[in-house]
Amino acid sequence: MSTPVFALDGVSYHYQQHAALHAVSLEVAAGSRVALLGANGSGKSTLLRLLDGLYFATAGELRAFGEVLSEAALADETRHYAFRRRVGLVFQNPDVQLFNPTVFDELAFGPLQLGWPEAQIRSAIDASLQQFGISHLQQRAPHRLSGGERKRVALASVLIMQPEVLLLDEPTAALDPASQSEVIRFLQESQGQGRTIITATHDLDSVADIADHVIVLADGQVAAQGSPADILSDHALLARTHLLHAHPHRHADGQVHSHPHQHGHRHDHGTNAGRYRRFGMGRS
Amino acid sequence: MFSGDRPEKGKRMHIPDGYLSPSTCAVTLAIALPFWLLAYQRAKRLLHTRLVPLFAVFSAFSFVIMMFNLPLPGGTSGHAVGMGIVSIVLGPWASIIAISLALLIQALFFGDGGISSFAANSLNMAIVGSLVAWGSYRLLAAGAPLASRRRVVAAGVAGYLAINASALLAAIEFGVQPMLFHDASGTPLYAPYPLSVAIPAMMIGHLSFAGLAEMLLSAGLVAYLQRAHPALLAGSANITTAGSRQGSSVRQLWYGLAGLMILSPLGLLAAGTAWGEWGAEDFANPAAVRKSSGHLACMPCRIALRRACPDWPVCGPPPSPTMPRPSFTARPLAMCCPPCLVPG
Amino acid sequence: MSEQSFLAGKHRHHGNIAERMVHGLQQVMEHALDAEAISATPGLLQQLDPRIKLLSLLAVLAATLLASQLTTLLLLFVLAVVLALASQISLSRLYRQAWLSVLLFSGMLALPAIFMVPGERLLTLPLLHWHITRQGLSSAAFLLGRAEVSASFALLLMLTTPWMHVLKAMRSLGVPVLLVALLGMTHRYVFVLLQTASQMFEARRSRLLAPPSGRMARQLVASTSGVLLGKALQLSNEVHMAMVSRGYRGEVYLLHNFHTRKRDWCALLLALALPLVIVWNHA
Repeated sequence: MSTPVFALDGVSYHYQQHAALHAVSLEVAAGSRVALLGANGSGKSTLLRLLDGLYFATAGELRAFGEVLSEAALADETRHYAFRRRVGLVFQNPDVQLFNPTVFDELAFGPLQLGWPEAQIRSAIDASLQQFGISHLQQRAPHRLSGGERKRVALASVLIMQPEVLLLDEPTAALDPASQSEVIRFLQESQGQGRTIITATHDLDSVADIADHVIVLADGQVAAQGSPADILSDHALLARTHLLHAHPHRHADGQVHSHPHQHGHRHDHGTNAGRYRRFGMGRS
Repeated sequence: MFSGDRPEKGKRMHIPDGYLSPSTCAVTLAIALPFWLLAYQRAKRLLHTRLVPLFAVFSAFSFVIMMFNLPLPGGTSGHAVGMGIVSIVLGPWASIIAISLALLIQALFFGDGGISSFAANSLNMAIVGSLVAWGSYRLLAAGAPLASRRRVVAAGVAGYLAINASALLAAIEFGVQPMLFHDASGTPLYAPYPLSVAIPAMMIGHLSFAGLAEMLLSAGLVAYLQRAHPALLAGSANITTAGSRQGSSVRQLWYGLAGLMILSPLGLLAAGTAWGEWGAEDFANPAAVRKSSGHLACMPCRIALRRACPDWPVCGPPPSPTMPRPSFTARPLAMCCPPCLVPG
Repeated sequence: MSEQSFLAGKHRHHGNIAERMVHGLQQVMEHALDAEAISATPGLLQQLDPRIKLLSLLAVLAATLLASQLTTLLLLFVLAVVLALASQISLSRLYRQAWLSVLLFSGMLALPAIFMVPGERLLTLPLLHWHITRQGLSSAAFLLGRAEVSASFALLLMLTTPWMHVLKAMRSLGVPVLLVALLGMTHRYVFVLLQTASQMFEARRSRLLAPPSGRMARQLVASTSGVLLGKALQLSNEVHMAMVSRGYRGEVYLLHNFHTRKRDWCALLLALALPLVIVWNHA
C-alpha cells in the first residue's frame, strides 16, 4: 500500500487550556473521499486546520505525505510552498475564504503566492472561470455575490492550484438547496479523479454521496470509523454524537410524535413520503 | 428626548481639500511619513505575516465605527474616530496604520476628508490621536486589575484627550493658513480664520460634544470588553507590549510625542514666515482694521496671540471649522452658524 | 447641515437610532453600487486608463490648490462639468453628491469670513453694523471654490473607476504593493463589518418599540461596537489562516493589465499642464 496522505498518531490539540482534539489516530489513503462527521464543537474544523498545517499538534505526531508536519518544517520556504501546493482548504465562512477585493484577484492569489509565471496564472484563471461558470463575475466584489456564487468562487480559488488534497469545511452550510446540490454534484464528479477529498460536515443526507469513508468525531475524539452505510445505520452512535435530533413533528399519516430524525429530501424512502425520515425504521 | 432630529453637535475634523495650502500639505506629509514607517516597522517585527489581515480588518473596523452616531446627553449626537479603543486593544503602532488606512479609504472612496489633506488628517487623528490615547491610557490604567472601574475611566479620559489633541492640531493647521498664505490685498487664500478664531471654534465643539462621543465610546467599549473579552484588555492582541520591553518603548513614545509637539508648529511655520516676522500689516488693510475694536474669545489665546492678531474684530463662539457628520440627522442651520461677530 | 462627503447629499431618514443606523450603513453600500454601475457605462472618463486618471486627478488637485485667481477656479469647475457630461454623469448627481454637501459644509463655514476678514469695506449691514469686506468675500469664494472643484474631480474619479482599478493604478505608479493590498482588503472588510453592524441594528430595530433613552442608545452603540471588535479580531485571525493556506508568507503580489493608448497620454499631458500653467502665471 502506498504512503497515506495523512497519518495521525495520538494527535492532541489544546487551545488555551481547552482540549479541542484529544489523542486522535487515523490514516487517510491517497485518492479516498473521507467525511469527517461531527456535531458543532466536535473538533472537525480543528482537525482540518491541523491537516492544513495551520494549527500544529500540541502532542502526538502528524505526518503528511510521509513527512512530519510541524511549524519548523513549514518554516522552510521550499517545503512551505510544496505543501501549500499539494493541500488546499476551503473555509466555511466565505468572508474568511474570500479576502480579495474581486473574484479575479481571489483566483490569482494562490498562484501568485506560489510564484507561477504570469502567463500560466492568466490561463489558469481563464480555465477556472470557465470550469465554475463564473466568468461574468470576475470583476465583482465578494459582497456582491450570492451564497452559491461565493461557494463556487471559494472552490475555484483553491482548486486553481490543482491540489492533490482538498479539505472542505462544511461546504453546504448556509446554502440554499439548489446551491447545496451543486456542491454535492461537484464532489460526486470528483470521484475517481485521484484527488483526496476530506469534507467536514454534519449533513447526514449527503454523506453517502460525497464519501467512501466516514470518521465520526465527538468531543475531540474519534468516536467511530467505517463505510457510510455502516455509520449511517448505527443510530445509537449518531444519537450519542448529537448528529440526530428529536422534536415533535407531523408525519404524512397525520400522527404527531417525537423520535430521533433528520430533515431532508430523498428519493428513496418509499412509503414515508413526508419531510421527515425516521431512523428507528432503518433506511429503505 | 431622543428624536430623529437630534441635532448633531459632535463633530469630527476631517479636513477637506482646499482648506490647507500646498506647503502645509507637504509639511504634514513630511511629518507623518516617519511615523508611518516607524509604525510599520514596529508592527511588522511583532506581527510577521499576521500584519496584513490584522491591519485590513481593524482599518475596516475603525471605518465602520466612524459611521456610528452616538447619542450624547443634552439631546445631541456625535461621532467617534475610534483611535482610543484601537490603541488600547492593538497598541499605538497598529492603530496609527489602521486609522490612516481608514482615513485614506474615506478620502478616496467617500470624499470624506480631502485627498491633498490626507496626511494632515492622518497626522491629527491617526498619529497624534493614537499616541495620546495610548499614552494616557497606559498612564491612568497602570496596575489596575482588568475588571476595574479605573480602566473604564482611563479609557474614557484617553479617548477624550486624544480627540482634543487631534482637534487642537487641526485648529493650528487651520489657524496658520491666513497668516502664511494670502494674496497682495490680504485675502486669505485657504482657511480664512486665524488661530484666535480657529482654536476656540474647534476646541469648544471638541471639548464638549465630540470629545464626549469619543469618551463615551472608548469607556463603553472597555466596559463591554471587560464583560465579553477580558483577554483583549490583557494585551493579548496588543502588539506593542506583547513580548517587548515595555519600559523603553513607553519612554520612546513620550520622546516621540514631545518631539512632535515641538516640531509640528515649527514645521508648519517653516513653510512660510517665522512667528516673529509676522504682523497684521502682512495681510490686512490697516486703516480699515484698526477702526474696529474687536476682542478675542479666549483669554490665553488673547495673550498669546495679541501680537499675532492684534486687530481682528472677533469674539466667540465663532463658527466652527469642523464638520458635522454625514448625517443620519438633520441639523437646524441656525445651530451651525451662530452669530459670531461683535459690531466693531 | 451635514458633513462634506459623497454620501451627505442623499435623502435623510428619521426614526429611532437603530433605524437611522441601518439606513446610514445602507447608504454606504448604495454609493458603492452606484459607483460600480456608472463605471461600467461607456463614457469619456470610463475609457481612460486608470493610472492616467489617477495622475490627472492629482495634477488637477494641485492646480486647484495652487490657483490664486478665482477665474482659474471657475475654469476648473467648468472643466469638471464638461468631463461629467462627457462621461454620462448627470449634473444632478454631481449636485447631490458633491456640490450640495460642499455648499452646506464649506459654504456655511466660509460665510462668516465675509465679515470677519479685515479689509476694504464694501457694504455695511443695517442694524448689525457688520462690514462686508472685499477680502472677506474673495476668501470665502476661494475656500468654497477650491472645496467644490476638488470634490467634483474626486467624485468623477470615484464614479468612473472601479475601486480595484484605482488600487492597481496606485500600484503601477509606485505605491508600495503592501499598501495597495491593504487598501483592497480594508475595502473588502468594510463591507463585511458594515453588513454585520446593519444586521445587529436591524435585529434591535424591531425590538425598540419606544424611542430608547440616551443611555440605552449609547449602550446599544457601545455593545454593537464591542461585538464588532470581537468579530474583527476573529476575522483577522481566520483570514490570516486562509491566506497562509494558499501559500502566503508575508509578501503580497498583484496582477494588473492596463493598456495605455494615445488618448491616455493626451489626457495626462493636459492634466499636467494645468498646475504648470498656474505656477507659470504666478511667476
